[in-house]
Amino acid sequence: MIHEPARLAIMTNLYVVDNANATYLLQQTGLTWGNLGSHLARLEDAGYVAIKKGYHGKKPETTVALTTTGRNALVEYRDRLITALAPVATDG
Amino acid sequence: MTTGFTDLEQLERQAFRRFYDDGIFDLYVGAMLVVMGIGALISDRMDNEPLTMIAILGMGLVVTIPLLLARRSLLRTRLGTFEPGPERRRRIAGTRLVLLGSVVLGVVAFGIAAAVYKSGTGADTLAALLPVLWFANTVIVFGAAAYFLDVPRFYAVGVIAGTAMPLLIWPDLLWDYQIHPVLSFGIPGAVICSIGVFKLRGFLERYPVPGSDRG
Repeated sequence: MIHEPARLAIMTNLYVVDNANATYLLQQTGLTWGNLGSHLARLEDAGYVAIKKGYHGKKPETTVALTTTGRNALVEYRDRLITALAPVATDG
Repeated sequence: MTTGFTDLEQLERQAFRRFYDDGIFDLYVGAMLVVMGIGALISDRMDNEPLTMIAILGMGLVVTIPLLLARRSLLRTRLGTFEPGPERRRRIAGTRLVLLGSVVLGVVAFGIAAAVYKSGTGADTLAALLPVLWFANTVIVFGAAAYFLDVPRFYAVGVIAGTAMPLLIWPDLLWDYQIHPVLSFGIPGAVICSIGVFKLRGFLERYPVPGSDRG
C-alpha cells in the first residue's frame, strides 16, 4: 500500500505536518487532482488517512491528516525497508 | 512527481520555506522602511507631531493591509494550507519569543535614550551608539526569523535593514555630511523591496494556481 511512489509521497508529506489541505498535497507531490483523489481514497480505505470535507468561505476544501494507524504503518514500512536492505553492500 | 527528497526533515523545511518564497514579507519590511523615511520628511515639513503620527500610521496601514490580504490569498490558492507539526510549532514559538524580547529591548533602549537626551549629557555618545543598537537589534531579530523559520534570505534582509540608522547618523557625526532619512531609510527599503519583487515574480511563475479543490 505505502510502497507505491505516489502514496509514499502523500504519506511522507502528511507525516511532517499535523494536517494539510488538498492543494498543499497537490503542490508537494506534483500529482494531478484525479491521481491525488484516487490515492487518498485508497489510503482512507486502509485507515491511514482521515479526510475532512468542508468549506473555506464558499469554496470547497478538503483537509487530510495521517491517522495513528497511518503513522505507525509508515514507521513499520521504514523498519521493513531498513531490514530488507541491510544485506546490501555499502562499499564497491 | 516530487519524491526527490533525501529525508523528512528536509521535506518539511522545503515545504515550509515555500511559504516565504512569495517575497511579500520582504516587500513589507522594505515598504515600512520607506514609510519611516517619508515620515521623517513629513515631520520636517509639518512641524505638528500628532498629525505626523497620524500620517505615518495611515501610511503603515496602507502598506500592511493590502500586503497581508495579498499574502493570504496568494498562499492559500497557490500553495494550500497546513497545520505545522510539533517541531515547527516549537520553532515558530521561538521566533515569537525573540521578537517579543526585541520589542521589550527596543522600548527599554528608547526610554534610556530619551532620558539621556533630556538630561543633555552624553548626547554625542548616544548619537554614536544609537546606530549600533539599531543595527544589532535588526540583525538579531531578522537573524532569529531566518533561523527559526528556515529562510536564510532573512539574514541578508536584516543586515540591509540594519544600515538605515548608521547611514542617517554616522556620516553626519563623522564627516558633517547629512543624509536625509528619506534616503537613509529609503535606500535600504528600496533594496529590500527589490528583493521582494524578484521573489514574488519567481513565486507567481513557479506556483500557478492549480485549479480548484473539487471537494
